[in-house]
Amino acid sequence: MHEQLLMTKGARRRSRLAALFGHSVLAAVASSSIIALLFIFYFIVKDAVPFFRFEGVREFFGSVRWYPSREEAEFGALAIFIGSALVTIGASVVAVPLGVLAALCLSDILPFSVRQIVKPVIEMLAAIPSVVYGFFALVVFAPLLQSHGGSLLAAGAIVVLLPFALVGSAIAGNAAGARAPEASRRAVRVGAGLAVGALFAAGLAALAGALGRLTVGSGTNALNASIILGVMALPTVVSVSEDALVAVGRDLREGSYALGATRVETLLRVVVPAAKSGILAAVILGVMRAIGETMVVWMASGNAAKVPEPWFNLLEPVRTLTATIAGDMGEADHVYGSSRYHVLFAMALCLLAVAFVMNLLSELAVRRLRRGRT
Amino acid sequence: MDPGSRKTFDRSFTAVGYFSIALMAAALVVLLMPIFAKGSGAFVFRGTVENRRLMLEKFGRGDRAAIEAEKAAAAAARAPVYEAIARFEAALDTADAEDRRGYRSDFREVRELVAELLGPAPGRQTPVLIRDQYGQTRWDRASVVLHRILYVEDYDYSDATKMGVKVATPRVERFRGTALEPLFGVLERDARAMLRPRTTFYWRFLFDQSFDAHIFGGIWPELLGTFYLAVGAMLFAVPLGIVAAIYLAEYAGESAFVSMLRTCISSLAGVPSIVFGLFGLAFFINTLRVSPSKSVLAGSLTLALLILPTVIRASEEAIKSVPVAYKEAAMSLGASRWRSIVTVILPAALPGVLTSVIISMGRAAGETAPIIFTAAVSVGKPLAIWQTLSQPTPALPWNIYNLATEHEAVDEIRHVQYGMVLTLVVLVLLLNLAAIVLRARVSKKLRG
Repeated sequence: MHEQLLMTKGARRRSRLAALFGHSVLAAVASSSIIALLFIFYFIVKDAVPFFRFEGVREFFGSVRWYPSREEAEFGALAIFIGSALVTIGASVVAVPLGVLAALCLSDILPFSVRQIVKPVIEMLAAIPSVVYGFFALVVFAPLLQSHGGSLLAAGAIVVLLPFALVGSAIAGNAAGARAPEASRRAVRVGAGLAVGALFAAGLAALAGALGRLTVGSGTNALNASIILGVMALPTVVSVSEDALVAVGRDLREGSYALGATRVETLLRVVVPAAKSGILAAVILGVMRAIGETMVVWMASGNAAKVPEPWFNLLEPVRTLTATIAGDMGEADHVYGSSRYHVLFAMALCLLAVAFVMNLLSELAVRRLRRGRT
Repeated sequence: MDPGSRKTFDRSFTAVGYFSIALMAAALVVLLMPIFAKGSGAFVFRGTVENRRLMLEKFGRGDRAAIEAEKAAAAAARAPVYEAIARFEAALDTADAEDRRGYRSDFREVRELVAELLGPAPGRQTPVLIRDQYGQTRWDRASVVLHRILYVEDYDYSDATKMGVKVATPRVERFRGTALEPLFGVLERDARAMLRPRTTFYWRFLFDQSFDAHIFGGIWPELLGTFYLAVGAMLFAVPLGIVAAIYLAEYAGESAFVSMLRTCISSLAGVPSIVFGLFGLAFFINTLRVSPSKSVLAGSLTLALLILPTVIRASEEAIKSVPVAYKEAAMSLGASRWRSIVTVILPAALPGVLTSVIISMGRAAGETAPIIFTAAVSVGKPLAIWQTLSQPTPALPWNIYNLATEHEAVDEIRHVQYGMVLTLVVLVLLLNLAAIVLRARVSKKLRG
């Protein structure tokens, strides 16, 4: 009876061998991701190297003359790099503040029932394919921007800044009231609030007026692409930074509340500092999404390979790396092996390198967050 | 700070937080509203008699006798138009040379516009292009063409400081006093009788072939192509992804290899989608030669790599969320590790894994950049299943781009573009909804 339950020596060895074999097969299959990544690097580098060998590095990074289809082809991609950078920066300006604020709201402020509604909204924003965003940018947003550009910008500025102006004047009024003697406190509070509010309103009106006078030459420009890309990158920023904020845990929050801090003080002085590397990771991932996105910029940015005048003028069309690859490969495919073909791989290599480095940075940030917690 | 200020600060920050959430929800609404409003126009619209004629002749749908009767009624209403044209032509033949030259190009324009609105004039031979064989099939488009017949639109540049101002002058002024004059009045009054618009519910938009580069018909080749690409990508990505997830969740410890593996997976997730496209072209098509040129197979393989990290991460999460007690119970009954994974853990994790599969399928269906160089063509027939190994296919995301930017009649086929966008959005959102529902049920089950 006892004997039958124990395995013989041979059987035990066999079962251990089988387990080892199974383990290594699993590990091999699991490492398909490593192989895929290596292959991607290898094949992009392989086709990018001929370009750098024939055309050199200087012109590619240093010149703004992009004429790949001429007889005497020129491959100066500086304007395209600047276009990519411009659109990415614009998108981060939209996505980062809004995303982090929304994440704070989602993790600490909203009641549970509302959160259950907001989360699917974010998931829907994330799930909508990029070509749909691009279509919206091209067919709905661009004509609107072109015909009502100035007033649209002014309205946008007011909608975004008005709440901050209100908050600012309320706080200023309160602060002023706190210093006044008890009897006149209320009057000082209201008066100071109104005064600061009027100041803000005047500034806002001036800004809106200046924006309202702008005319938009073409609806497909860097601003259009930035706004739409920003909305696209938003879900990434929100969900990753919300994870980081939730991961901070209850005890820190409760400790802060126990010391008498309000919710905002807890959030800004305790929770956000504790989650800052996670929020950094979220920002990096959001920026990565914006850099690597193709369809929106291809459809919305105007695809003009020149540096805007002045360089920060978002109302001019720009061209990005991804859109150049997508747009030129159709023609370059026929001239397989030419510089025109290889230059696109050189661009892809730059994109890949940037994405890889940023990804490592975000990994590092997340890892630090994890270490900080334990 | 005094307590009052702190409290105000707290409240106002809360308000700003709510505002950011509201802004995000507004973005979703602003994005989806035009898509749903105009996209439904591809399915429900005011179809004219030309539309019913097209349906009968190209798809064999509809009641032949009723449509013939309608055609006759429409032809009767149209008779004055053609009569005016014929009378004007006759008058032009007898007019002196200068008059004839003066009217020629304007008259040709009118005749072309009338043909665009009503289809080829009776008695003429059938045109070669399908788009010339029919008048306007949709009343909304017909109204636009009608307006172009009745009014000449021009830009007024007289004020040099401003952009050109659009001015519309009635075209009838040009033909005042000629035999063509009544045409404009008749058209304006009787256009409805000539085209007989009627609310049409065209659900077959999804399942119809397209004719003449999407000017008529539906989007079946695109829908089928999207389905093939997404399912093909899942076929490659799901087995690999689940095995990798099992390894990561159950076997891998904290070794340097595993840490590198995780870094590689997240790096793969960060590779820009267009780079996947280039890689697919360079590797699957130019090096491995899985197919002579673009094909569904190459596109699916490329998409599979793209969604692999998503599948791995989400499946790992699902496997890890199975309570340890399940595994312990299985092992205490003498099951080996592998056996307990296959018979106990995986079945318990299956709904969660399925959720991840559904979400990544939506992602694969909507990706455009990776399939541009590997699988997508602008126009094509629906493929049979074995053709997917060697043939490229049209696909919704690519054709949305293509029709919205490169098509020769971009404005005339807005309804098709919107219809495609709506179809893609609904497809992806339905997949996500299914995933959300599934996940809610799973979390309830694992909790209770």
